[in-house]
Order: sequence, then C-alpha cells, then structure tokens
Amino acid sequence: MDRQEALTWIGEVFEEAPGRIGPTTAREEVPGWDSLGTLSLIAAFDERFNIQLSEGDIEGMKHIGDILEILQRHGALAS
Amino acid sequence: MRFLLVDRILSLVPGERIEAERTIPHDEDYFRDHFPGFPVVPGVLLTESMGQTAAKCLDAQALPRGKAMLARILSASFRQWVRPGDVLRLRATIVANEDRFATAECDATVGTVAVAQAKLFFSFVPLADFAPDFRDRVLDEFLSGAAR
Repeated sequence: MDRQEALTWIGEVFEEAPGRIGPTTAREEVPGWDSLGTLSLIAAFDERFNIQLSEGDIEGMKHIGDILEILQRHGALAS
Repeated sequence: MRFLLVDRILSLVPGERIEAERTIPHDEDYFRDHFPGFPVVPGVLLTESMGQTAAKCLDAQALPRGKAMLARILSASFRQWVRPGDVLRLRATIVANEDRFATAECDATVGTVAVAQAKLFFSFVPLADFAPDFRDRVLDEFLSGAAR
C-alpha cells in the first residue's frame, strides 16, 4: 500500500471525504475520529492487516501521520 | 411499538454463531405507512433484527465488558421484500470478538430466499448502566432450555 492508498483507507474508516486528511491532520480536526472511530480503527487494523494495536499505539495516535507510522512499522506501508 | 425483533433462538454457540427466528406480525403499526396496499418490513428493522440476533450471541458469553450494542453498520443490503406473516430466519457469525468491540456477519432468509445481509460492528456497555431488572427474555429462555 502506498501513502495515498493508506490515506484513502484511513478516510474510509473515519468516514471522511477523500482529500480532507493528510499526515499533519490532528485528531481534533477529524469528526469521525471519536471513541467509536478509534474502535473502528482498531478493528480495521486487525481485519485488513492482521495488526493488533497496543495500548501505547492507541494512546499515541494524535495525528493521521501517527497512523501512517504504525502502518509503516508493521510493513503495511511502502516507505 | 415494542422493539423486541427476535422471537426465539434456534441454536447458539456463545460468542461464535447463532440462529434465530421471527414471525412478522400482520398488525405491525408501521405497515399503515410502509406502504399502503404494499406492506413490507423496512430494511432498517431487518438490520435491527440481525443486530439483536448477533447481540444475543455476544451477550450469551456473559463477559464483564457488558451488553453488546450496535455501533456501526459496516454494510447492509436488502434483496427481497419481507411481508406480513413471513417467518424470518436470522443468522449471525461473530468474526471479531475483542474486549472493546465485536464484528458480526449476519443474514436473513425467508424459506430458501435470502432477503438481507449485513456486517455489523458492536461496542459494549456495562450492565450496571441498565435497569437492575433488565433481562433478555428470549436469551434467558433459550439458555434455561439448553441447561435442562
């Protein structure tokens, strides 16, 4: 998956329009990134990539770029 | 109207899969509007029936996380009309089951005809948040019968 595909996937999880989010977009700027959005993201990581997020991962996600970094760390995002 | 959209459980493996049934009453109030002369069960109620079925499968585990609550409709499709008097067969398979969320793949049939399917996402609410005397009669009846 390349960066643009990853952003599209993240946008789908948060029900955000394509092109509205980027690596520097903060959690507070994404209406769908609420508690349900976080649960949806955890489930989507597991279902799509078989990645189980740690509590540290979850606590540390403040920007879209943090999600991209997790994808990259697990080899799901081409560097 | 009451909102109990599952009549009885036919088979159940807690946290894994469930099969249940509901007969659509002829006198449901919404048939007056949905639609005059062409009464059909709204898709949203079919989704809720599948959701209640899957939730019973999760609740049967009786885990400390609490009661399963439909939080997101990941997908849903409605393939055939469901009419007054139809007997809905409801099935759910739990495909993800974690401490904080669960996902279920559900379908509904009438006879041999597939009428609806949905992929549903659940979160959990502690039982302490509900009325102390809140019980799931349908689930209790099945579990008490299975225990005999």
